[in-house]
Amino acid sequence: MKLEIGKFFVKKITFGPKTEYADGVLSIDKDAALAKVMEDEHITAAELHIVNPGDLVRLVPVKDAYEMRCRVAGAKGIYPGVTSPLESAAHGRIHALKDASLLVVGKHWGSFQDGILDMGGPFQRNTIYGAMRNLVLIADTDEEFERHEQQKTNHALRWAGFRLSEYIGECLRDLKPEELESWELDALNRRSADVQKLPSVVYVLQPQTQMEVPGFNTLVYGWNANHMLPTYMHPNEILGGAVVSGSFMPCSSKISTFEHCNNPTIKSLLKAHGKTLNFLGVIMSNLNVVMEQKVRMAVMVAQMASSLGADGAIVAEEGYGNPDVDYIQVLVELEKVGVKTVGISNECTGRDGKSQPLVALDAAATALISTGNVSQMYTLQPMPLVLGELEALARDGLSGGWEGCVKADGSAVLENNAMFCSDHPSGFSVKRCFDF
Amino acid sequence: MKKAILYLNQFFGQIGGEDKADFEPTLEDKPVGSAGIFNGIAKNVKIEQTLICGDNFMASHTDEAIAQCLKLLEGRKFDIFIAGPAFNAGRYGNACGQICKAVQEKFKVPAITSMNEENPGVEMFKREIYIFQGGNRATAIKQDMAAMAAFADKIASGAPLLPAAMEGYFPRGIRHEVFLEDLGMEPVMACDRAVEMLLLKLKGDGYLTELPIPKQDLVPIAPAVQDIRKIKIALVTSGGIVPKDNPDRIESASATKWGKYSIAGLDKLTAPEFKTIHAGYDPEQADKNPNVVEPLDAIRALQKEGRLGEVDDYFYTTVGTGTTQGEAARMGREIAAELKDRGVEAVILTAT
Repeated sequence: MKLEIGKFFVKKITFGPKTEYADGVLSIDKDAALAKVMEDEHITAAELHIVNPGDLVRLVPVKDAYEMRCRVAGAKGIYPGVTSPLESAAHGRIHALKDASLLVVGKHWGSFQDGILDMGGPFQRNTIYGAMRNLVLIADTDEEFERHEQQKTNHALRWAGFRLSEYIGECLRDLKPEELESWELDALNRRSADVQKLPSVVYVLQPQTQMEVPGFNTLVYGWNANHMLPTYMHPNEILGGAVVSGSFMPCSSKISTFEHCNNPTIKSLLKAHGKTLNFLGVIMSNLNVVMEQKVRMAVMVAQMASSLGADGAIVAEEGYGNPDVDYIQVLVELEKVGVKTVGISNECTGRDGKSQPLVALDAAATALISTGNVSQMYTLQPMPLVLGELEALARDGLSGGWEGCVKADGSAVLENNAMFCSDHPSGFSVKRCFDF
Repeated sequence: MKKAILYLNQFFGQIGGEDKADFEPTLEDKPVGSAGIFNGIAKNVKIEQTLICGDNFMASHTDEAIAQCLKLLEGRKFDIFIAGPAFNAGRYGNACGQICKAVQEKFKVPAITSMNEENPGVEMFKREIYIFQGGNRATAIKQDMAAMAAFADKIASGAPLLPAAMEGYFPRGIRHEVFLEDLGMEPVMACDRAVEMLLLKLKGDGYLTELPIPKQDLVPIAPAVQDIRKIKIALVTSGGIVPKDNPDRIESASATKWGKYSIAGLDKLTAPEFKTIHAGYDPEQADKNPNVVEPLDAIRALQKEGRLGEVDDYFYTTVGTGTTQGEAARMGREIAAELKDRGVEAVILTAT
């Protein structure tokens, strides 16, 4: 299975008469793009903005981030089972805009999983999106049933993101990529002796799936991954758009749809394949609610890794708190069957830094990568421009915000928890916790 | 220029040897002994006074010694408190830890000391104060003092402080996030750190976890009681049940105190005479009926049926929420000693 990703490096985004890409310039027909957004009658207001690295702009409440891309070969669309026909995402060719993303932001209303993102100033570096040129959709919906709920499915806005990212990406269809990356793995039993003698490694991904009510969880080919047992996937499926982000994870721990499609841990393993390791593939797991489900999932992951012949596993958890139990359980079960593990997660050490970093601990977890501290306190100075509504951070129950945390002058105190995707458990994080 | 006060024992304070170990606290209005090393290095802070106390006096009259020391410091203007270095000297390490903790609490200034990792004072005080990793013997005095001086100088200058391992002090059980680039480290992404760590782990050599799992202090389960009718048992709880006025002022969270209250002649714990002060669970049920946490009613029933023997006249209680492992272990030891004194052979320990 071969997946090619043709890259187009965006140096400028502008609005123009036609949606097109040439020589690093992405031009967007605003009316046509907004028409794509308004296809959903539940969207009641929509506007588009362009933000660049260093702009003194604050975005909040950010719902999700998307790569603007199109499929030129293989499946018929970029989110199979979600907004595209259900076909394998593992092969074919995708054309994608690089160094750019689409960010979807609520015009007024935020929810538990939404975040705040600064394009300039001291917190620009807290997410990868601060270093990108971003198209920003600010929109409102008529989803009255969840208007004042802390937990929102954000369905209309998230699906608008899917449609819009594909609409923009379509302008790349007939163009020649500036760079082409190609990912291909031989079937497990057809790998050369040279590859087979390298240490065999699986990647175990635990996306957030802990909502029992439909509409919130990570989707795998459009399927609610709460209703899933661990399954074996080709890394190309994830890079190819088989997994889209949900609407439940406190924001610093979130893996955005953009990050699923660009999962850097998968890419690092693919790059190392055949050189320093034999990448066996992905065990797509999940995060569960009750202990029995957690243990069942962990036992099944361990069996799968063991039967695939894994010597080692990298396990990544999208979340903190309760799902730490699933995370540690998987590490323990893998070690039990002789698969050596490295975990990737953030920590929650409390505002004073003195709390136990993970809810569950086990001496078997001897190799852990730390990607940040959920409860680190930060003070944001006022920004000249806020897109969306800053008050959402204080009013709407965003994780990491609270009543009164936004001041009249536009400054705010918050926990890192509210910073959009800032702990990047997908693997992008360039921070970690240290002992003091 | 900021001001520091240095604490030394009788020996390093140039009072005398072991024969002067009962020496009571005194404050010299000048830098004494190794203060000179400190003052030669620090540019932004200077030791101007030296507090000296005999190790024995501090060890055997701790409360009095601390009180005297704090009194001597009252009204003095200082920004940083330094003690030692104490090397691997057990009594001196304890003294440095005790005085640093007390001064830091009372005067709200950072306190810094230095000990060898083998010094019991490290385990006792590392969570409270900065303890630098020092040498084993007094021959290390120059380098140990220099390390403290450099760190005190940094605090005085207001420069950002680095993680414990980079500064050289024992981790205090505090973890914060830091961008790698801010520490002058290569900003390697988590995914690449993970792949590298896994390859090292598979080879079996030198990788360093970024999140060390604290050593778990597992207590072996005691052998089963042969006949519970023939021994004396006691009730112990971390559920925060106390008499209604909470006479010992046990904290509702992060407890450092425990209490012991009579149940002699009681058939059960009645509300509102007893209640919970535990902040970690919904108190409604326990306040209505404290026996749901400390089950005296069930114990008395079993006694009446002849299925239980003697029950201690006191129950023992504290609060488990947010309580550090260190404090919990200390309180556990203290309660256990008391129980043994009273001839108790088994306890029913109720958590929440």
